[in-house]
Amino acid sequence: MLKNALKHNETYLFLVIVVFSLGVTIVNPAFMTLENMFDLARSSSATAILAIGFFMVLLSGGIDVSFPAVAISGQYIAVNVLIAMGIDNLLLAFLISIAVGLSFGLINAFFITTFRLPTLIVTLGTLNMFHGALLEFVGTKAVNTGGLPDVFKSFGKTNVLTLMRPDGTEYGLSIFFLVLIIIAVGTWLILRFTILGRGIYALGGDPEAARRAGFNLNRIQVFLYCYAGLLAGIMGIMHVSLIRYSNPNYIVDSELLKVIAAVVLGGASITGGKGSIIGTLLGVLMITVLEKNLVLLGLSSYWQQFFVGLILVLGVSVTHIQAKIRNRNRILVS
Amino acid sequence: MSDYFLEAKNISKAYQGVQALDGVTMHIAPGEIHCLVGENGSGKSTLIKTIGGVVVPDSGELVINGRQFERLQAIDSIREGVQIIYQDLSLFPNLTVAENISLNQMVEQKNKVVNWTQMHRIAEHGLAEIDEKLDLNEHVENIAVAKKQIVAISRALTQNAKLIIMDEPTSAITKEEVDHLFSVIMRLKAKGIATLFVSHKLNEVFEIAENVTVLRDGQKVGDYPTTDLDDRKLTFLMTGQNLEHKPYTPPETEARDIPYLEVKDLTKAGQFEDVSFQIRPGDILGITGLIGSGRTEVALSLFGLNQPDSGKILVNGKPVRIGSPEDAKKYGIGYLPEDRLSQGLFTEQSIGDNIIITIVKELLGKIGLIRGDEREKTQDKWVSDLKIKTPTAKAPASSLSGGNQQRVVIAKWLATEPKVFILDGPTIGIDIASKSNIHDIIRGLAGEGMAIIMISDEIAEILQNCNRILVMRRGRVVKDIEDATDVSEDELFNIVSGIDPNEGR
Amino acid sequence: MTDAKRSNNITLLIILVAIMGIMAIFLPDKFLTGINFRSMIRQFPEYGLLAFAILLAMITGGIDLSVVSITSLTGVVAAKILAAHAVIGELWGVGPWTVIFLAILSALAVAVLCGILNGILITLAGVPAIIATLGTNGLFLGIAIILTEGHGITGFPTEFLFFGNGRVLGLPTQFVIFILVALLLGLILTRTAQGFRMYMLGSNPLVAKFSGVNNTMVLIKTHVLTALLAGIASIIMISSVNSMRPGYGQAYLLLAVLIAILGGTNPAGGFGTVLGVTLAIFALQAMQSGLNILSFTPFFKKFIWGLMLLLVMVIHFYRQRYAATKGLGKAPPQKPMEKAEAG
Repeated sequence: MLKNALKHNETYLFLVIVVFSLGVTIVNPAFMTLENMFDLARSSSATAILAIGFFMVLLSGGIDVSFPAVAISGQYIAVNVLIAMGIDNLLLAFLISIAVGLSFGLINAFFITTFRLPTLIVTLGTLNMFHGALLEFVGTKAVNTGGLPDVFKSFGKTNVLTLMRPDGTEYGLSIFFLVLIIIAVGTWLILRFTILGRGIYALGGDPEAARRAGFNLNRIQVFLYCYAGLLAGIMGIMHVSLIRYSNPNYIVDSELLKVIAAVVLGGASITGGKGSIIGTLLGVLMITVLEKNLVLLGLSSYWQQFFVGLILVLGVSVTHIQAKIRNRNRILVS
Repeated sequence: MSDYFLEAKNISKAYQGVQALDGVTMHIAPGEIHCLVGENGSGKSTLIKTIGGVVVPDSGELVINGRQFERLQAIDSIREGVQIIYQDLSLFPNLTVAENISLNQMVEQKNKVVNWTQMHRIAEHGLAEIDEKLDLNEHVENIAVAKKQIVAISRALTQNAKLIIMDEPTSAITKEEVDHLFSVIMRLKAKGIATLFVSHKLNEVFEIAENVTVLRDGQKVGDYPTTDLDDRKLTFLMTGQNLEHKPYTPPETEARDIPYLEVKDLTKAGQFEDVSFQIRPGDILGITGLIGSGRTEVALSLFGLNQPDSGKILVNGKPVRIGSPEDAKKYGIGYLPEDRLSQGLFTEQSIGDNIIITIVKELLGKIGLIRGDEREKTQDKWVSDLKIKTPTAKAPASSLSGGNQQRVVIAKWLATEPKVFILDGPTIGIDIASKSNIHDIIRGLAGEGMAIIMISDEIAEILQNCNRILVMRRGRVVKDIEDATDVSEDELFNIVSGIDPNEGR
Repeated sequence: MTDAKRSNNITLLIILVAIMGIMAIFLPDKFLTGINFRSMIRQFPEYGLLAFAILLAMITGGIDLSVVSITSLTGVVAAKILAAHAVIGELWGVGPWTVIFLAILSALAVAVLCGILNGILITLAGVPAIIATLGTNGLFLGIAIILTEGHGITGFPTEFLFFGNGRVLGLPTQFVIFILVALLLGLILTRTAQGFRMYMLGSNPLVAKFSGVNNTMVLIKTHVLTALLAGIASIIMISSVNSMRPGYGQAYLLLAVLIAILGGTNPAGGFGTVLGVTLAIFALQAMQSGLNILSFTPFFKKFIWGLMLLLVMVIHFYRQRYAATKGLGKAPPQKPMEKAEAG
């Protein structure tokens, strides 16, 4: 079983994370504490949810870059509706955000399946369409903590597990993590135990063979893009609950590169057909740990973009060079 | 009620004015091993697709399992038990053997949930039906082509196949693997499952088929029990000609005393070992051997795409290092690839642009810009020299027939004025008329002093066109025939297959 | 020019005339004025050059998502030198034009380095172009942000305003630069070996390799060219607003991709022309001006551009289908871009 484990990309990533964390702990012992772990879980859950959605689409051989716009749209619209209607209900917020997510996902799916357009270009277009529409037709004014309905703030503070510090104050494992685990497990179940899930892998492996095998490719793609939209909608609510602030310009710039880097680092193949939920989660963990430590190591947040970009570039280069070396004796490898 | 499992009656199909099939009738009995042969362009592909419901014929009818179909759809065909295994096998490289075998059935049964135990059971069952065992958890991309075929066949069996159609199944597997495949086909027969085997490799036809249907130019020439046929007769039926060419003799010139290219002890682990030969201007050196013999690998080494581990390549007596196709070009070596569509032609680009890609540098004027008039002149010259059938050099390469496309690829390399021209399978997938035209072109080039290396599977082609022959097996040169006239077709066949005629088989 | 290209460009010309016609009809006083035209030809060179960059990348079957960040980075480099012009002037006893020359040279040198990095990642490391340039996009922008610590840079010598605000032969400098660059690019693409090889490689990298083309060099040169275009764009940008802030111009990526595709470039590779993209630039600038005159917000514009990108691709889809049914030979295929690999 160990031999099997060593074959997988995920194992190496895990080791890298462990080594890196040990290194950081030496510099800053405050890193390897339960409290810090809980904090990591809390702040990375949102990104992880987006990453899972992106990963699913990537598995099928496509790419969806519109997810940040979907997430912020779901969030901003839900927040404003709650304020406007004076209702302070978390479930309603989730329903609205998810509805927005599903609708936008459906739009993506429509263009991709009806006209067979390249998925990158379509979602590049919808990214701007959704975001532009949000800012133009809904508004640009940020909602600060004071104006934010209480449900978000209390949701953000909810813990599933509470512990006490020596001085009597409490800290805990956020409910965000629970939501993430449920989504991760659910997605894993879909991928592993449903024909639809295997169809996603099949589509990513060989679309023509998938068609011949009888898979309904259009239905699979509709599911995928709507699912990505659904997850983006959930993430939107989680995000506003996390930072207690709703600015319609957020998420779009910050999350895109992070999510793609995380998913790719986690071992998913750009061309589809390969990858795992575990790998995706580890990728998010790696990126988050890195980000947190940039701050701990005294580097300003300006370095973030640089480092994430660097990691993406290095990580992917290493994998590809590895593959090239492995295939060195095979002629005609492009 | 007829005795046949499948009856195709008077099938006709035309594509844009070309009659792909013309009133073809064929029948297959349950459990029969039937072979469909014909040269390229004879209509084999179209006929299969018609039977599979993928192509709708213009006229004619199909009777499968006693049921008549006016407009057969793919789903009907599958339901009746017809399974087509295409040449590319249509497998999922990123999924396991078990999944590849079982998924089709699970999708067909409209299952929603995956039961892995069931998946494995179905796969095992499918494999067991043909007495095979494979690692169910291995990803298909990691297994050999021959094993992939077993996976494809097992998959066909899980859907209650009664007729399995295999399209050129032996093009990429070794002799042992071919024998193995044939034993699998026999097991299928024992279960009452018929096999329709499409091939152009005559020796295999004789080994496995019971009955043969011969197509030529879209029409059926006839049905014959295999026992009534032999090599010569079958070739005659397929081609309509008695191919009696005079073998090629090189011209007697002084240039012929010095070998242009010499290869010494060329070795690459896992591919070929201690390969040595020389080639002189005017030679047509044939390299033949079964799949896996290393012929293409050696050729690619000479072309700079496959660096050898050791050994020497000498051009005009001087050792050279060929690190890339650019280097090869520099040393006057050109290479016509095996797969012209994915390796030889820019199908969307114009014929003219395809031709000049190798010599762009020579079309540059004083300030480094391409000279438009030179460009057009060169393009038109090659189109007419090689008699490429097209109204204009600006038409896309995709508009040409197979034979004409091959001429474009040939022109591309002739434009570089090579001293050595390596042709890998130059007439694969080309109709008979074009085939002999291309042979004439090749012989003409050699007659003018070019050294040609022709890699081919077809014994007849080698004997008709080469004055020297190298036979390779498992990466080694097993026979170097200095004069092709010294060896007969049967003898060469035996050498290639490794058969000693003095022993029993 | 093949029939397909010509028909595509004619369609574009018609679209352009149509847009300008619509604008002229609905906004006669504001659109058809000298002021408006002068303003238009001052605006488009910035993003027009970036559209050319995307054109080049797409011809080879790839894409360069990092052009806007290269613009930021080169802009920052130039800006820092320009901002220190007084100091440098005193130190070396040189006038402002020398400093300007130095700044531009440095910016272009940095651009070349960026292009080489992209090229190496895509060829030698074998990273798919989308991911490689997505990563370097973050990388380059990150470096730009680090260098400026997020602040803007001002204090350029007044002479520098020439590029973004000056005139040559009565025409805005940037327009002249644009025309010169367009002519040069057209020449490169249609009359040089590099250009020819770019088209063929984009059509099929494997066949190019088998034809003796050095794919690695062709691609590295391509990305150096795209980076240089981004560098030139940055000079124009910072000169026209007389300041520099990293991130300025990020929004141009979508626009550049839209224009390239509108201009008939096939993202799968092998096809695309300077003329087509130029016509598309004009068409888009006309639309942009119209939207500006109608006081639409930048957000609405974002929405419109996204929508247009989708519509243009849908129109291409129907045109290809139409051409196929009429048997006009095979149109360029729609390979999913993610599966295009470089040699």
